[in-house]
Amino acid sequence: MTTATSTQLPPSTHEFADIIHRLEAGGSMLPDNPENLKQIIGIYKAYAVPMDFYWRDLLYIAQEVFLEPLDFFKYFLPKEYLELHNHYAGDDADLRIWRGEATVHPELLAFMEKGELNQKIPRLFHHLFHDRINMEFAEACMRSMLWHGRDMGWGKFDAYLDSDEYKANADAAIKAYFQGNPAMLGLYKLFPEMFLEQVRQLSYYSNLGLFWEVMAPVFFEMSDLYDEGNLTTVPEAMNFLVNGIFAIAGRPIYHHAHIRGKVYEIIPKSKGFTWLYEAALPYVEAVFYRTAPFRGTKSYNAQAKQVPDEQKDFHYGILYADVFPVGTAGIPPTLLMQDMLHFLPPYLVDYYRQYCRGEDDMLIQLGITFQRSMYCVTSAVIQALRTALLYPLDDPNPKHLMANRRFFESQLDRFKRPEARLRDIQSQDYR
Amino acid sequence: MLSLLIGLPLVGAALIGFWPSKGSPTLFRNIALVVALGILAWTVAIATQFDLASPGMQLPENLPWIPQLGLSYKLGIDGLSFPLLALSAFLNCIAIYGRGETVERPRLYYPLIFLVNAGLTGAFVAQNLLLFVLFYELELIPLYLLIGIWGGQKRGYAAMKFLIYTALSGILILAGFLGIAWLSGSSSFDIGSISTKNLSLTTQLILLGTLLVGFGIKIPLVPLHTWLPDAYVEASPAVAILLGGILSKLGAYGLIRFGLQLFPEAWAVLAPGLAIIGVVSVMYGAFSAIAQKDIKRMVAYSSIGHMGYILVAAAAGTPLSLLGAVAQMVSHGLILAFLFYIVGIIEQKIGTRELDDLNGLMNPNRGLPLTSAFLIVGGMASAGIPGLVGFIAEFMVFQGSFSVFPVQTLLCIIASGLTAVYFAILINRTCFGKLDNQLAYYPKVLAVERVPALVLAVTIFILGIQPSWLLRWSEPTTTAMVSNIPPSNLGQIAQDLNKFAP
Repeated sequence: MTTATSTQLPPSTHEFADIIHRLEAGGSMLPDNPENLKQIIGIYKAYAVPMDFYWRDLLYIAQEVFLEPLDFFKYFLPKEYLELHNHYAGDDADLRIWRGEATVHPELLAFMEKGELNQKIPRLFHHLFHDRINMEFAEACMRSMLWHGRDMGWGKFDAYLDSDEYKANADAAIKAYFQGNPAMLGLYKLFPEMFLEQVRQLSYYSNLGLFWEVMAPVFFEMSDLYDEGNLTTVPEAMNFLVNGIFAIAGRPIYHHAHIRGKVYEIIPKSKGFTWLYEAALPYVEAVFYRTAPFRGTKSYNAQAKQVPDEQKDFHYGILYADVFPVGTAGIPPTLLMQDMLHFLPPYLVDYYRQYCRGEDDMLIQLGITFQRSMYCVTSAVIQALRTALLYPLDDPNPKHLMANRRFFESQLDRFKRPEARLRDIQSQDYR
Repeated sequence: MLSLLIGLPLVGAALIGFWPSKGSPTLFRNIALVVALGILAWTVAIATQFDLASPGMQLPENLPWIPQLGLSYKLGIDGLSFPLLALSAFLNCIAIYGRGETVERPRLYYPLIFLVNAGLTGAFVAQNLLLFVLFYELELIPLYLLIGIWGGQKRGYAAMKFLIYTALSGILILAGFLGIAWLSGSSSFDIGSISTKNLSLTTQLILLGTLLVGFGIKIPLVPLHTWLPDAYVEASPAVAILLGGILSKLGAYGLIRFGLQLFPEAWAVLAPGLAIIGVVSVMYGAFSAIAQKDIKRMVAYSSIGHMGYILVAAAAGTPLSLLGAVAQMVSHGLILAFLFYIVGIIEQKIGTRELDDLNGLMNPNRGLPLTSAFLIVGGMASAGIPGLVGFIAEFMVFQGSFSVFPVQTLLCIIASGLTAVYFAILINRTCFGKLDNQLAYYPKVLAVERVPALVLAVTIFILGIQPSWLLRWSEPTTTAMVSNIPPSNLGQIAQDLNKFAP
């Protein structure tokens, strides 16, 4: 994986030739230095803790809250979901990625109990004081997948949501859920599509929840490995992600609703939807690259033509986002940054104290770190795609290497637009 | 009591100037601040002694000094001078507090500021024309040095321009005063003993014209204003606060005290012309400010515009308009000090004052959010948004002047709208928009640096919703002053003028 192959090909003439050569040598889009490694691992840890909440709550909403029309308490995780075993951690794991416990992360539990106030008060009051995990961010990611899903062309998951089979499964679940509720059943008869679309959204809740169920233990494990001194370079971190992606690629993506003690298989596991193609890749495309224009940055005015007509031209994901206005009105990533702020490892807090405004603008500093780390994750996805579709980096055949190069170049073409932060993250001055 | 008010800053100046040990800038800043707060406290003590119902001179002090010259040390305050005294004591604290730790050569800096303060205080309380000129000239050299040493890049030019203009202003005022005393045959220069009743209207007009040009330079009125943008822009924020906040009030004060009070008849004759000059100032200030690209320059031109209102109000000479003029002096002093302080912070943190380079300062984490909010409050106060002190003053000016000079007043109201225009430009370019990611690594504004702005903002706000705290000092005095002015009857004036035609 680390064999340098760039010598066998003439230098690339691409704008990002340096980065392409680095990718060809098994590296990441993010420069390899200890400072970057510290930042990305620290932020993986800070991201994984709220993510542990996100995936549990996403599954809870998809499975238990379901079509509740007055879902006031959908962010109040019940005990079962806090104790729900992650399939990739703990002793009874299907595939043990993280060596820690399978139940909720202790730091998350401590935060849910005491919060920023550092006081044990009923959860409702924590919620009302906004002393909580910003679950809205997870829902925004989910909606981004839902809305871009149809447009992205790959995967069969979204197409399945329109099949008669899916509609029949959903119909059974809807009828069971509203059993004994003539008002809702009557509405369902009048406007069946309204409820069906809600169930589709819930299927995406499940999809994203299952995606993050994998990512949280991966990030926890990387943090542990780093603390133990077993992750020493950025490419190592990226390769850990690549290996994780392949190990987990075939895990099922499904949607089960739990209604009155009975499980309704809206998307059964037997449909064969898999983690890599139906969750990971659509997620990266929808959330890292596209999402939706920030209300505080772009005008949705149709005459102003600031927002592209085509969904494929959307470029508002974290790889393109301007992190400096985080904390301002109309900038959605603020929600995530605020969540991660609570769980920063001490070495990262110390690191931020040395720069810019110290703790005062930590929200932005960690946002930029997050952007760096997501470039590393995207690099892992690009390398994984290259491994799956093309040739190894140490392939002796120059034609194969050329194919690899064309693939890398086409991937990096997406970062040519001025908003892309790929140029910025090459320098440590961007913080 | 009033002597102490002049004496305290002199004591402070001597204390810092002759401090035995070398000392740090912070030490001298703290000493200066204690003295300045002492002056403020003493001003409050005077306020408790102030009789709100009396229109005349209060707390008089009188010492014959050089009787051969008619110079006596005669002090006193009334409703016209007291609000300005209080403003001066208050802004002096702000000027000394603001960013004082970083000042170079503190042993020269603080004594000079105190000298300016002593000069201003003395001029506001002096009841003798020569004594007034003495104090008026006293703040000239310290301010020249304050601009020339601690100013910006073109400080030498700005300071020299300021010095020449102000010196000329002093000469004209002195000439006017000598003329008043000699021509009226008065033996002393005490204000109470001088009467211009016996002078012919022509003489009165000439003398008033001399004073008008002399004080007009200081206010400044439009053709005489060109020293102002340079001096304000090149001066450091603290000095700009002194210059714009208080010194310009000295001109307006002098014009009302000596022009309107000593020459009520000639004033009535000149009033329509004065109103036009005022309107020209107001319009000129507003249009020039719109054209500027430097935020400090915009604020400086806004000052010209706002001082024009005072002239219009004083020319109208109704009880309400004169009260409005006093209110406008105080309100403009507060607002200008507020704006200069904020512009100083922005320049210090961002390193530029250019409208084209500033952007997105409202950003809560990387910008200067509270400073931006203050800038918006300051801009709104300056533009006369109700709820802030600027509106009270402007509205009284408009209400008081409309019956006398309707056209001029309407033009002032339009200019007030133009004020909103350029402050909207300023705020839009400075506070709104997005930060430049290449440059936006600005240092944060410390809590201690916010204190003066916060104090000024609270004052501006409180006086805006409780204006009687601003107006009650002056009402009897201004009403009494106006009663001396004969009604401005243009036909009558024309006849009077004809009588003196050669």
